[in-house]
Amino acid sequence: MNIIIPISWLRDYLKTDLAAKTIANYLTASGPSVEKTEKKGDDYIFDIEVTTNRADASSVFGIAREACAILKSNGQKAELIEPKGLETSLEPDVTVTNPLDVSIADPKLCPRFCAIVLRIKIDQSPAIVKNRLTKCGIRPINNIVDITNYVMLETGQPMHAFDFDKIENSKMLLRASKEGEKITTLDGIKRQLPKGSIVISDAKKLIDLCGIMGAENSQITSRTQRVVFFVQSYNPQIIRKTTQSLAFRTDAAARFEKGVDLEFIPQVLSRAVYLAKKFAGAKIISELVDIYPKKQESKTIRLSFAKLNKYLGIEIEPNKVIQILTALGFKCVLEIAQIKATAPSWRATDIEADVDLIEEIARVWGYHKLPSKLPTGEVPQRENNTLTQVIELKKALRYLGLSEAITYSIISKSMLAQTGVAPKDAVELTNPLSEEWQFMRPTIIPSLLDVLGKNQNLESKIKLFEIAKTYDKQKKGLPTQDLKLAFALSDSNFLEIKGLVENLFQILQREAKFTKFNVPSALVDETQASIVKMGDQTIGGIGTLKEPPSEYFKLTTPIAIGELNLSKIYAQAPTTHSYHPIPKFPPVIEDISAIYSVHTPLGDITSEAKKASDLIKKIEIIDVFEDPKLGEEKKSVTFRLTFQKSSSTPTPEEVNDEKTKIIKALETNLRSKIRK
Amino acid sequence: MDNKIRQILGDAQEKITKVKDQKSLNDLYVEFFGKNSPLNNLTSEISKLRAEDRPKAGQKINAAKSELERLFEEAKKSSNAKKHHIAAVDPTAPGKKQQIGHLHLVSQAIEEIVDIFKKLGFTLQSYPEVDWDWYAFESLNMPAEHPARDDWETFFIKSDIDPKYGKQVLTPHTSNGQVREMEIVKKPPIRMINISRCYRRQIDVSHTPMFHQFEGLLIDQNVSISQLKGTFDYFASEFFGKKRVTRLRPHHFRFTEPSFEVDITCDICDGRGCRLCKEGWLELGGAGMVHPNVLRAGKIDPDQYMGFAFGWGVERTISMKTKLPDIRLFYQNDIRFLEQF
Repeated sequence: MNIIIPISWLRDYLKTDLAAKTIANYLTASGPSVEKTEKKGDDYIFDIEVTTNRADASSVFGIAREACAILKSNGQKAELIEPKGLETSLEPDVTVTNPLDVSIADPKLCPRFCAIVLRIKIDQSPAIVKNRLTKCGIRPINNIVDITNYVMLETGQPMHAFDFDKIENSKMLLRASKEGEKITTLDGIKRQLPKGSIVISDAKKLIDLCGIMGAENSQITSRTQRVVFFVQSYNPQIIRKTTQSLAFRTDAAARFEKGVDLEFIPQVLSRAVYLAKKFAGAKIISELVDIYPKKQESKTIRLSFAKLNKYLGIEIEPNKVIQILTALGFKCVLEIAQIKATAPSWRATDIEADVDLIEEIARVWGYHKLPSKLPTGEVPQRENNTLTQVIELKKALRYLGLSEAITYSIISKSMLAQTGVAPKDAVELTNPLSEEWQFMRPTIIPSLLDVLGKNQNLESKIKLFEIAKTYDKQKKGLPTQDLKLAFALSDSNFLEIKGLVENLFQILQREAKFTKFNVPSALVDETQASIVKMGDQTIGGIGTLKEPPSEYFKLTTPIAIGELNLSKIYAQAPTTHSYHPIPKFPPVIEDISAIYSVHTPLGDITSEAKKASDLIKKIEIIDVFEDPKLGEEKKSVTFRLTFQKSSSTPTPEEVNDEKTKIIKALETNLRSKIRK
Repeated sequence: MDNKIRQILGDAQEKITKVKDQKSLNDLYVEFFGKNSPLNNLTSEISKLRAEDRPKAGQKINAAKSELERLFEEAKKSSNAKKHHIAAVDPTAPGKKQQIGHLHLVSQAIEEIVDIFKKLGFTLQSYPEVDWDWYAFESLNMPAEHPARDDWETFFIKSDIDPKYGKQVLTPHTSNGQVREMEIVKKPPIRMINISRCYRRQIDVSHTPMFHQFEGLLIDQNVSISQLKGTFDYFASEFFGKKRVTRLRPHHFRFTEPSFEVDITCDICDGRGCRLCKEGWLELGGAGMVHPNVLRAGKIDPDQYMGFAFGWGVERTISMKTKLPDIRLFYQNDIRFLEQF
């Protein structure tokens, strides 16, 4: 939360000769950060970021208190002056008082409730008040409303004023709202309240949406004569729930969500009464109502100097520690080798353990004064995750001519439909930001197709890849989140994607097998596709894109896609290449041409040949063609064999024997016909 | 004999002049000096001559061989000379290139970051992106009512609630790796880097619902804020350049105590203060000393061990380096953007 503080106002409580800029630098180094300093006339305006744990510092006085402790601990002259009237008596000024009938339905809603009734005269605020409110972005209204705002900015404690005469039967019941209750707030907006919001009702109606904004029906007007001044604290979580479900947050609500100092509440009321007496001729006409069932306690914590020094990496004097903590409002007692400290009331909820004290001491001492050292100690022996190899893989893909896309892992329902995975089988968000991002994708492919579609008019040939985790729903437990590599190539075909994947496996130093695509697919045309395997394990698939997804993404060229499971690939060790002696004797090279059924895979032909002879060193397909002359559904395939022996060049007789074995195998197992 | 020799030389001369390239010249050489060359055949005829004529014939054949050698030598020289007459290349003409692709900016940054921390003994690890509430929040000292834990800020997954680990969430930060790493390693030292996709319910100029964060965790017996400072200074000078300095500012995170925000000097104004920075400093990320409750959640004794952790957005870090105005550009995947890097 950011707060605006005019330095002129800050100097009411912080007496120091230091320049605004110097104060800002000290604050930023050791306390809440001054993000901006803006000159306005003869004043400087600080824009300060206060972290959620430091609600005590989100006010002019809170910053003064913080700055004073930091300046003093850094050898600068500074003095803290409390706002006037904190100790003003709240005894009635009249003999006959107006009773205020307050009850709280559940003390958990409101840990402390203070209220008092005043007779006042509505008027304008003095120029200094109006001026300060304006500088902080608040419009002055009248002396009473302005006091409530002024006190909130000054002390950090929000407060409210009701028109006493508009409260039916002088009755205030603080309770949780019921289903369907409505209230018109001061800004004139009628709001339907979520059940369980904190509200105040009088004998007839709701008069306050507590902690957020008062009701219009009890607001201060120019005719108001008697007011209820009202200072309390609320359950922060309930305030937060209400502001969220109403999507309506006020400055007061933001403060109540972080919690306030319960001990400070009566003093804040005193300060408000003091100002009302000064600016509105106020007289107290009721007894003080103060409902405070459970007193707030600060923790007492012990911190050893050894631990402190270990954290800091330097030695710090016990006296310095006491000086810093005392300046911050802690009560300190020096014990043997340690310090005992009790947090001030405004830090009661924030200071919980010895590490909190370390933070207080270290920051005020100054992080900038600590030396900069590299970690010492033993370097752990831990294997890098495969992600390290992925970095190298990405580079290799780049040099193969592919470009990397990074797309959202969350996809829409209609994009999920393209993958063929049913919504019930996909990992779904309960609270998506929009329909566009609703499911965790089981495959990267549709996202790449989307990118191709959006870019196809810019370049005729686009080759994309992406590496990301994908999500497969499990019956129990977390989804499987394997790392996958996906490809999408525009203006492409099966052999291009296959060649790419073959290159990839060469780079990965692993063996891939390509088999028929024997399962139905929503993405690839099964006749133009292949399953990719390592051993018997399926690790992915490749193929050309089917018509429906192509239409969905409005793609205008034939697309080839592929996806491989890198988690599974890296789980198998790369093949290590051991040394084979360079052959001393030349090989003999022979071709075999034969006619096969068009349905016989080339892979089967070469593996059949290889099985039949031990002398084959290498086998490669050099020619394939179909011709009506060959017969119906026939093709001619020629492959080249390299026969080699380590002891001598194979003799013509040996080669002939081997060829006969191979031909026999092809004829009996694949029913081929040898062409002579 | 003399006639035959003259004929062979004449033949050679004629053929040599017709030769166009080095390869045909080599073939021709084989023709005239090979096993079946005319001069070789002539040599075998010497034995048929009378004994007194034989030496002379030998000399003549040898002379012819030298002459032939000379002719070939000349032809070779002149053919080399001819080469120099080929028109000179235009060095500014485009070469024949292989196609090279592009890596996403985020990947390039990840590589750099990993390399820098590797040198300090950190290893790269990976943890689930859909994880249990326990690892993402509860074990990180974040109370049930913490704002980050409600539907407005974090994405939740439709799934059964685990009695021990709670709901499934899309990790809003990489810190879910902290307790997971402690559980894996069991006994410190730990030096871990985790770079992963993270998800938060927001989108604007500086936020996308998905982004990358990188996280570091170091746990050992003696770890100080000074060492955290040293680590940052090392990273900043390696990643951003030697002139850049970092500073720690007090901040608040539930899983660290003390907590800091880490700033780096602005390179536009060299730290003097300008429109783009906060008084000369740019916010880099968050850091702190690991909270004892987090160590306890990871079954590590906080009386024996301590540590520091840090984390920040990769995209933010890149845009600080490349001056990218809108973070959403990272994920629009316009090829004209991708191909710039």
